[in-house]
Amino acid sequence: MADVVDSMLDLMRRLPPTRTEENVAALIGICPDYADDLLGSVDQPLQLKTDRATGKEYLACDYNRDGESYRSPWSNEYDPPLDDGTVPTPKLRKLEIAANEAFDTYREMYYEGGVSSVYLWDLEDGGFAGVVLLKKVMTAATPYEPSGSWDSIHVFETAERGRQAHYKLTSTVMLHLLTRKGSEAAGPGVEKKQENKGESKGLEGWKREGETSLSGSMTRQTEQDWPLQDSSSHISNTGKMIEEMEIKMRNLLQEVYFGKTRDIVYDLRSVDDLEKARRQRELQKELVGFIKR
Amino acid sequence: MDANERIQAASNFLLQSPPGEINDVLNDVRNIISDDDSLQHGILPVLKEYNLAQFITVDVPGTDHQSIVSEAARIAASGLRAEGEEQQQQRFLDPRSKTSFVFDHLALEASDPQTVEPDPESESFRQALETAVLSYLSAHFLDGVGAVFATPGSPKRFVIQVVANKYNPTNYWSGRWRSEYVVDLNEDTVTGKILVNVHYYEQGNVQLATTHNISLTLPPAAVTSTPSASASKILALIADEEGNYQRSLNETYHEMGEKTFKGLRRALPMTRQKIDWDKVLGYKLGAELTSSKGVFGNS
Repeated sequence: MADVVDSMLDLMRRLPPTRTEENVAALIGICPDYADDLLGSVDQPLQLKTDRATGKEYLACDYNRDGESYRSPWSNEYDPPLDDGTVPTPKLRKLEIAANEAFDTYREMYYEGGVSSVYLWDLEDGGFAGVVLLKKVMTAATPYEPSGSWDSIHVFETAERGRQAHYKLTSTVMLHLLTRKGSEAAGPGVEKKQENKGESKGLEGWKREGETSLSGSMTRQTEQDWPLQDSSSHISNTGKMIEEMEIKMRNLLQEVYFGKTRDIVYDLRSVDDLEKARRQRELQKELVGFIKR
Repeated sequence: MDANERIQAASNFLLQSPPGEINDVLNDVRNIISDDDSLQHGILPVLKEYNLAQFITVDVPGTDHQSIVSEAARIAASGLRAEGEEQQQQRFLDPRSKTSFVFDHLALEASDPQTVEPDPESESFRQALETAVLSYLSAHFLDGVGAVFATPGSPKRFVIQVVANKYNPTNYWSGRWRSEYVVDLNEDTVTGKILVNVHYYEQGNVQLATTHNISLTLPPAAVTSTPSASASKILALIADEEGNYQRSLNETYHEMGEKTFKGLRRALPMTRQKIDWDKVLGYKLGAELTSSKGVFGNS
């Protein structure tokens, strides 16, 4: 029989991405023993927290969690406070501070808003690992305005080999898009009113209301070697890798969200009359046969 | 969690299954719960609920067409008890072939076909709607199944159901289009809904889920003529609405791509260049943005 964790991961790959948190909680309820495996391998939407010391927002996930508390990358403090919370060694913390500044710049350049956080931790074999988190939410000001959210989770591991460093990067992007539509939103201003007036006659009389939700996540991995001058090279190296990966994944998401899923809808139903097309093809065949004769 | 809560959680997972993946979800759930006995007993009502809600299609014994297993197709159980049937097996109706059958919600198979006498008061209009639905299906669906049900005790109320499925597990996607219209000739109204679900899961999990609720008062021309003319007129209205909806879905896609997607993350920074990471640690963002605005105007 398949491994239970594999079954859980397969299940999470099938259930609606809009309900990930609820379903992960249910799985943990069924198998509490697998909670760590599950939380470590299923990406969930990042939570926004506010650093009490600096007032700056940061992102919470499994990587900056200790018990029930989360560490802020800005003040290095846990909330709720912990006396013995795990923190990086002073040397690594220095790099973490610089990485947070650098990716804050990256965030502003690409997201023009949102929140970023970088967390680093030492590995037992001497290298270190880290996670770069980015999140942006667009809320709808009115019910019929589109809304959405983007969550990036980039986990990397690095091992230094002389003047080179080897990086292993796993990137997940979670993207949720939602649009609501109703009869009232059929057209701008004046047209709207006219349409409502026409409701009593024929086709104009349809009342409509509905929503379209496109949501999900995609994951990709890469391994690369980069030259190493000093420890700050790690920031520019992972920065280049993550920037390249996000550009690639943004293209991929665009293709899958707006291309693939739309094509499947058109595989289910055709806007054009298939019967007409069939008749035309037959007519064409007849004509070709006629000409050949 | 006690055994009951576990079955409850498992049921909840099953009801969320994407099109054509209920068996995959069931296999996962079996392995996770690892208690087949209580699972088998506990999930049967849920499988039934899922099948009815999803308009599961079935080959009708003795015919060469498929019908829809749904709430509208369900034959009221009271009649069965009157016949003294002990097992409480649920029978469903295929109005097209006037056949009722027992449906196995796990194997998704029909058995024990029996002829059913339709209500003479509603049958001619029902048949007219069915003919119109079938020609609509062949015009706009590559693999669609449709059914028209009369309402017992309400001869002027009909339920039209349409479902189209595409399952492509080798390429990691599946899709389902469902629509349902209640045609009420007492009130001269049509109320309906269109539901589309798409699952794309190659190295990820991306789902499209749409709902579209509609209601319409029928124009006098659509209800005063012969059954076949009325039925064609009603289906023409439905066909128009479904076509318009599909086109509006295209607009929604465009809007989400142009507004939301681009608004969340840019393809490239405003400088139209990738970031110079070697400089980034000393980067003065404000200065850079101001200077780039100077060069590119309001780009």
